[in-house]
Amino acid sequence: MRGRRASLGQRAYLVANGAILFFLLAPLAVVAVFALNPTPFIQFPPVGVTTRWFEKFFASAEFMGSLRLSLEVAAAVVVLATLIGAAAALALARGGLPGTRFLTALFLAPLMLPAILTGLALFQALQLAGFGRPTWALVVGHTLVAVPYVMRTTLAVLSDFDRRIEEAAASLGAPPLRVFFEVTLPIIRPGVIAGSIFAFIVSFDQFPISLFLVTPSRETLPVVLFNYMKFDLDGAIAAASMVSILLALAVVIVIDRLVGLRATMRF
Amino acid sequence: MPPPLPTASPASITLERVTKRFPGGVVAVDKIDLIVEPGEFFSLLGPSGCGKTTTLRMIAGFEAADEGRVVVGGRDLTHVPVHHRDMGMVFQSYALFPHRTVAENVAFGLRMRGVARPEMAARVASALAQVKLEGYEARRPAELSGGQQQRVALARAIVIRPPVLLCDEPLGALDRKLRQAMQVELKELQRALGVTLVFVTHDQEEALAMSDRIGVMNSGRLEQVGAPADIYDRPRTRFVAEFIGEINLIEGRVHDGGFIAADGRVLPVSSEKGEGAAALALRPEKLRIVSSGAGVIDGVLSDASFLGDQVLYTVTLADGRRLLVKERNPGTGALRQNGSTLGVRWEPRDAVILRNA
Repeated sequence: MRGRRASLGQRAYLVANGAILFFLLAPLAVVAVFALNPTPFIQFPPVGVTTRWFEKFFASAEFMGSLRLSLEVAAAVVVLATLIGAAAALALARGGLPGTRFLTALFLAPLMLPAILTGLALFQALQLAGFGRPTWALVVGHTLVAVPYVMRTTLAVLSDFDRRIEEAAASLGAPPLRVFFEVTLPIIRPGVIAGSIFAFIVSFDQFPISLFLVTPSRETLPVVLFNYMKFDLDGAIAAASMVSILLALAVVIVIDRLVGLRATMRF
Repeated sequence: MPPPLPTASPASITLERVTKRFPGGVVAVDKIDLIVEPGEFFSLLGPSGCGKTTTLRMIAGFEAADEGRVVVGGRDLTHVPVHHRDMGMVFQSYALFPHRTVAENVAFGLRMRGVARPEMAARVASALAQVKLEGYEARRPAELSGGQQQRVALARAIVIRPPVLLCDEPLGALDRKLRQAMQVELKELQRALGVTLVFVTHDQEEALAMSDRIGVMNSGRLEQVGAPADIYDRPRTRFVAEFIGEINLIEGRVHDGGFIAADGRVLPVSSEKGEGAAALALRPEKLRIVSSGAGVIDGVLSDASFLGDQVLYTVTLADGRRLLVKERNPGTGALRQNGSTLGVRWEPRDAVILRNA
C-alpha cells in the first residue's frame, strides 16, 4: 500500500526531526526548570514554582548594570558590523578588486581563529598602545567577530543577484546612488538583516573576547554570569539565562516585524 | 482600446568605427559602422560570442566603446552615462524589480523623471494596456508567468517614451508557441509606437520574420546588412549563407563569366565578372528535381525527410557530395523513392556566387 509506506517514511521523518528538536531544546527546558524551582541547586523533579530567582536577578545592581552594558555594546556592534560587513561584501562581489579571494579569506579569518586568541591579541595590542580597556574596545572586539557573519549572508544574496536589474534601473534614468538605494539595497536586504541578527547574537553572547576587555567595574552579562557561577551557583543564574534567551528572541522578532524579514525572504 | 501612447519622435542610431576590447585582448566588437534609421526594426543576428550583445550594450551605455562614436538622434552619446541616454531596454532575464509590484515597476522610469502622480498613473495604465496586462497592477513579478513578466518589462521600457528601444534576446526564455505570439505583438507594438528598435537575437527565423533590416555579425564584425529577403536570397559571405537557413555550397572558381565546379563541370549562373576561387550557393527550395539526364547534375536520392509543409530530399552525387532539395509537400502522401536516379536543376538567377575572402 502506497499510503502506508508513505506514512512510515513520514513517521521516520517526524521522529528524526523530533529528536533534533529535543536535542536543541532540552537544555532550555533544564534551564527553565532550574530557574523556576525554589531549591538553590539543580533538582529533578522540581519541588515547586517560584519567581525568587528572577526577583534576585532583577534586584541585583551587578546583573542589571551588566545587562545594560551588554545591550549597549550589542547595539553598537549591530550598526558597525552591518555597515562594515555589507560594504565589504559589496566591494568584494562587485568591486573587481585584485585578490578578491585573499581579501574574502582575510575578512572571514576571525571566524576560523579561536575567539580567545582574538581576545588575547586585542588585549595585548591595546596595552601596547596604552589604551587600557575602554568600552569601545569591547565594541571593536565584538565587531571583529560579527563582521564575517554579515559578510557571509550578504555575499550569499549577492552571488545570485541579476545585475541586469540594476542596468534596467539605470536605463530608466536612475543615477548610480538611486540604483543602489532603490534597487540593490532592497534586494540584498534579507541577507544584510539576517547578518545583523547574527551580529547581535554574537555580541550579546560573546564571552572569550569580552573576558580580556572588561574591567571589574564594567562587565558584560556573560562575564558576570561566569563569575557568579564560580562562587554561588543558584537559580539566579538560570533566571539570567532565561532573560537573555528571551531578550535575544525578542530582538529577532522585533527586527523581523520592523523590517519584514520574512516578507523580503519570500522571493 | 486605450488611446495609443504618444511617443518621442524615433531617433536614428549611428555607430562609427565602434570597437570594444575585453581584458585579455579579445576584440568583442571590431570597428563597426552602422546606421539604423528612425523608426526601423533592426536586428543584430549572429551566433553567441559574435559581439551582438556587446554592440547593443554599447548603444545602451552599459559598456564603454574603446574606440569610435555612438550617435543617437544626432547627439553624440559616446561618453554619456546610461541614465542620461533615455533609452528603453528589455533583457532576456526580464530584470524586473522583484520587490516592487507590476505598477511600481512600470512607474519607475516616470518617477526618475519626476512625472506628476496623476499623469504617472495614466501613463502606467496606458502602457499596461498596450501590453495587455490590465488588472495585474498589484501583482509581484514572482507571481507572473515568463511571458507576462516580459510584457511588464516591455511596458516599463515604453512608458518613458524612449526614442530608441533596445531588446537583448527578449523572447529567448519563452517557449516556442509563446515566442511566436510575442514576435507578432512586439512587431505590432513597435509599429504603433513608431519607435526605433534594435533587437539582438541568435534566432535567424525570428530575425527574418520581424526585422525591417538585419545586420549579421560574426567575430565582432558586421558581415552583411540588409533586408531579410536580401540576406536570405543574396548572402554576400559564406558565413551569412551558412548561418541563415540551409544552403548547398559547391566549390569551384569563376572563369570567363561563368562558374566551373571543382570537378570541371560548368554550372549555370547569371553572368559573373572577374576570376578566382569561389563557391556556388543554392538554397534547397530553389532546386528542382527532374528526370535523370534532364537536369544539371544527376544523382541518387538517398534520403527523404517529411517536414510537414515541405519534404527535404538528399540527393547524393556521383562524387559522394550531397545536395539538399526542398519540395512542397504534394499532399498525396507519396514521397519520392529512395535509390531512384534523378536530375537536379536550377535557374541561373537563383545561384549565388560567394567569393573566397
